[in-house]
Amino acid sequence: MWMVPRSRSLILGGAVGVFLVTGVLPLVYMIVTSARDVPFGVLLLDERQRALVYNSGLMAGATSVWAALIGVPLGFGLARVPMPRRAMVRVALATPVLLPPYVVALAWTYIGGSAGFVAALIGRDVFSDWTYSLPAAAVVLALVYYPIVMLATEAALRQMDTHLEEAGIVAAPPGRVLVRITMPLVAPAIGGAALIVFVLAISEFGVPALLRVRVYTTEVFTAFAALFDFARATALTLPLLVLAAGGSAVAATLLRERVIAGQRRQNATDVLDLARWRVLIRLLSVATIITALVIPIVVLLREAAGTSIVGAATASWPSIRISLLLALVGATLVVLIGATLGYARARAPSRIGRVADITWVVLFAVPSTITGVALIGLWNRPSFPGVVYGTFSMLVLVYLARFVPVAALIVAAGVRQIPVSHEEAAAVGGAGWLGTVRSVVVPQIVRAVGAAWVVAFVFAFGELGASILVSPAGESTLPIRIYTLIANTPSSVVASLALLQLTVIFLPLALGALHVMRRSNA
Amino acid sequence: MRPSRWIVVVSTVLLCACGRSNTATAPRSVTVYVSTDRVFSEPVLQEYQRQSGVTVNAVYDTEETKSTGLANRLLAEQARPQADVFWSNEPVRTLMLKSRGVLAPYRSPNAEGIPAVLRDPEGYWTGFSARMRVIAYNTKLVRAQDAPQSVLDLADPKWKGQIAIADPRFGSTSFHVAAIYAVLGDEKADDFFRRLKANDVRVVDGNSVVRDLVVRGEVKVGLTDTDDVNVALEAGQPIGMVLPDRDGMGVPVMPNLVSLVRNAPHVDEGQKLVDYLLSPDVERMLAQSEAVQIPLHEGVPGPKNMPAITSFKPMMLDYSKAAARVEDVTARLASILGL
Repeated sequence: MWMVPRSRSLILGGAVGVFLVTGVLPLVYMIVTSARDVPFGVLLLDERQRALVYNSGLMAGATSVWAALIGVPLGFGLARVPMPRRAMVRVALATPVLLPPYVVALAWTYIGGSAGFVAALIGRDVFSDWTYSLPAAAVVLALVYYPIVMLATEAALRQMDTHLEEAGIVAAPPGRVLVRITMPLVAPAIGGAALIVFVLAISEFGVPALLRVRVYTTEVFTAFAALFDFARATALTLPLLVLAAGGSAVAATLLRERVIAGQRRQNATDVLDLARWRVLIRLLSVATIITALVIPIVVLLREAAGTSIVGAATASWPSIRISLLLALVGATLVVLIGATLGYARARAPSRIGRVADITWVVLFAVPSTITGVALIGLWNRPSFPGVVYGTFSMLVLVYLARFVPVAALIVAAGVRQIPVSHEEAAAVGGAGWLGTVRSVVVPQIVRAVGAAWVVAFVFAFGELGASILVSPAGESTLPIRIYTLIANTPSSVVASLALLQLTVIFLPLALGALHVMRRSNA
Repeated sequence: MRPSRWIVVVSTVLLCACGRSNTATAPRSVTVYVSTDRVFSEPVLQEYQRQSGVTVNAVYDTEETKSTGLANRLLAEQARPQADVFWSNEPVRTLMLKSRGVLAPYRSPNAEGIPAVLRDPEGYWTGFSARMRVIAYNTKLVRAQDAPQSVLDLADPKWKGQIAIADPRFGSTSFHVAAIYAVLGDEKADDFFRRLKANDVRVVDGNSVVRDLVVRGEVKVGLTDTDDVNVALEAGQPIGMVLPDRDGMGVPVMPNLVSLVRNAPHVDEGQKLVDYLLSPDVERMLAQSEAVQIPLHEGVPGPKNMPAITSFKPMMLDYSKAAARVEDVTARLASILGL
């Protein structure tokens, strides 16, 4: 019997240990090493700081709301409304999350700038003030991140106990069942996804920088890039983290520990008759695909006219290869650690669970440059760390530091939907903890783990801010190569490189999705 | 696939990805951190590798506003440097690194012939192949004779809403505004930037963005670098440029700066690379490339469409004094321009 607690303690303790070293230690290191030089004046809530708090919170909050407004109906549509070629529609609707936000913002400036497409079409500039504004930054970010809410909503709807709806439909019309039963059951998943979007938006640098919105990330960047002041940058990170913690605490209070326990049904479109919404959902799907995917790509293709994407790919092949390999390894390790932590969080007492959620959200919001500088300080040392430093392992450490929290949040949400009674039943039946996890838990969280892996893969593949600080000399990942080539390159080449980055990340994921679908059908 | 097989596959991939040896420790190698645009610097370094047989491990920078850059990496690595050489495309970062003790003095024999004003008296840096700050204008919207001839002309109300500059807190623009403050004095410079603000100047994230806005006609004029303009000229886009203040305070000239890193792992190889970068051959390559950089060695042919450095009045500056003003000027401009 002693083997059971030992294996559980070893695995969970090991994951927590790795997380503390790779995820928590870098932030602690920066705070401790900067503490004596921190200019506490920058933390005073003067007019500039108040504007930063307001802008950062508003941009992230508006992005979450917009992403939810787009993603929730689409998630319902994919889960509950009869739809031809559903898998293809899902892939098309999910693809915008693969687009680097900076590239999408760039495409929108080509459209909305004072000499952009809209101005050329109507003959005067009526749009450029709005294009370079905080609301525009929120809309651009929402158009990139809404798939997170959409997929979370669809997954929750597919996982929920439809018996509750079946009972409700006996006594109430579909609309009321939707509002009173279905929505409250999927709200935790939607709220969790919106929180991830909030943190992604609040830690985003490229879009507010391009659209000239002054937020904390741009202020931290200025402290680094203009003043070379690590202590000031670290100090300016603290309000950003407080904002992230605040958002997380609000979400935790609103959602509490609600759990969607239930029996999965593969096809639940017949429970609530939502067929009358079919036209509306299709229109929304088409409009979203056009707005979030087709327009940015067409704009980039138009901008890239005359340059060869194949030529760019050939020249970039070593970078493409190493980027894919590192993202593959990084995402897998991130999910191994994140899934273990997510399981531990889901089965922990609620108070500890909430603390874990807030910790992850806060760590996920740490600006990438802070992570990069901290990793240099921690690993660029004699003996063992020095052996690791200067190798590609440093990039894997970047991925672990930055993306384990998001994997843990996603998997925790999945595990919480599995009643503890399932594991208790297996234990009563004599199964050990490992056996229970393997046979009972894992099969029920395959989707959540898969989603966490895809998210980690996409983020790892596109990581730039920390990677450029720790990548081995003489080597580049694809984003580093692209961003180092952008300077003094014609905009047509920039556009073709952006398309190349999109293609390189889309192809393996599409092939993987196709493979999974074929296996499922088989 | 069974989970155990997945573990084998992942472990193998992990070993392949992370077990790669540190390239910086390979025999006869040199590590150089480069902030000069990759499209221009990579061919130069590849040529050195071909000629010398020394493996060049280069780390390139992004545009100043896209990432926090290599200067921060050099600062963070100061306790255990990985780089041997730092090749910068403007003076501010190099001078900051010198003041923080990141660089080591080295007087290359190839520095002979480079004007003394473009060499550090203490030997911490040496300039070569210069760029200039220029006023770019859209040739479809502005006739050559109507283009502004001085940076100060940009405050003229006739350009209201039609001017773009890169964020003056970063890169070559930060050097340029610090130079303007050094030459004009604080009062006049403050007044100029206030009038520029009143003229609805558009502050964007990089000199290449300034160029693109001018090319697309979103603004008529912008302040940028010669190499940015030349890329558009080579592509046949509607852009022209003016060397500003030729008759007044002088044209702002920005040399590349090369330095040896203190406690560099490969000092000998680092010095040889510095010697190579300061050679007339490299100045010739950079002059003939799209970088159109002006050679500082006498007798090296200059780039096409660019005047020789002896044909105009360069802005005379003490680079150390100008760079020392950057933090103060950054704070002033953040307030004046609302950055």
